[in-house]
Amino acid sequence: MPVPVPVGVLRLPRGPDGCSRGFSPTSPRFQALLGGREEEVGAAQEARAALRQRYLRGLAAARGRPTHFSLRAGVRVDAVFGAADVEAVAFQVDALRTPLGVEAAALLRCTDVLAFSFLLD
Amino acid sequence: MNDWQKKSPLEWKTYKMVKVAAVEKHEYEGWVLTVDPVSASIVLATFLENEKVSISVVLGHAVQEVEILREGDDEMKQRLSCIFAPEESKAYSPEEHEKRKNDLKTWLETNHIPVTEQGESGRTLCVAGVLTIDPPYSPEECSSSNEIILSRVQGLIQGYL
Repeated sequence: MPVPVPVGVLRLPRGPDGCSRGFSPTSPRFQALLGGREEEVGAAQEARAALRQRYLRGLAAARGRPTHFSLRAGVRVDAVFGAADVEAVAFQVDALRTPLGVEAAALLRCTDVLAFSFLLD
Repeated sequence: MNDWQKKSPLEWKTYKMVKVAAVEKHEYEGWVLTVDPVSASIVLATFLENEKVSISVVLGHAVQEVEILREGDDEMKQRLSCIFAPEESKAYSPEEHEKRKNDLKTWLETNHIPVTEQGESGRTLCVAGVLTIDPPYSPEECSSSNEIILSRVQGLIQGYL
């Protein structure tokens, strides 16, 4: 069998953003991380850390509480909140009430979940 | 890029009442407790009649539009900052802190775990160079980027206390 001739790789001079290879300096991501003054960037990063900490405490507060989940296509289910993972891939729940019965433990994909709510006392 | 995506984290330093329009025509209204910078999820609080608070989390990928309705006044700010606030720990005196630190350091060394003191006046304990423990040296005061070491050391301290 003849050895197939490798196809040459065509390298275009312009990156996906059109101006050059790499990040466009006007993109929001560049502005947020590297654009702007030092104090602005520092203050924004501190704000982000505080917001993230509050979010994680919120997830911790949900643990063990009966939670109502709104999923895609109008599906709504009740369950007891178990845990969330760091990459926001899935939520682990206990006692998930489905039309087929109660599942002792289940994973709900984050992409399927639109919102969830629980009561704090 | 709509307005929602352009918002900066600094905007959420003050508490605001918002209306969130999500996909599939869902709508949520409440006080913004936080917006997760990683997933852009919005955590809303709604006060119910019976003194209970309903917390709703709208996941970032489902949010379409966020409309700010009003800013929170001082009373609301007080109420909202209490939710999810970290628990207040008992106040220890500096001598008690010193004693707790030395007892914990001895316990860790007995378990063959390398521990050093760092920071001003040696207040912070540094375990194996990757985990730090601040006063009052309880499991909640451990910080590390390695979750396995964190859980092991927390378990050790929990068993010691």
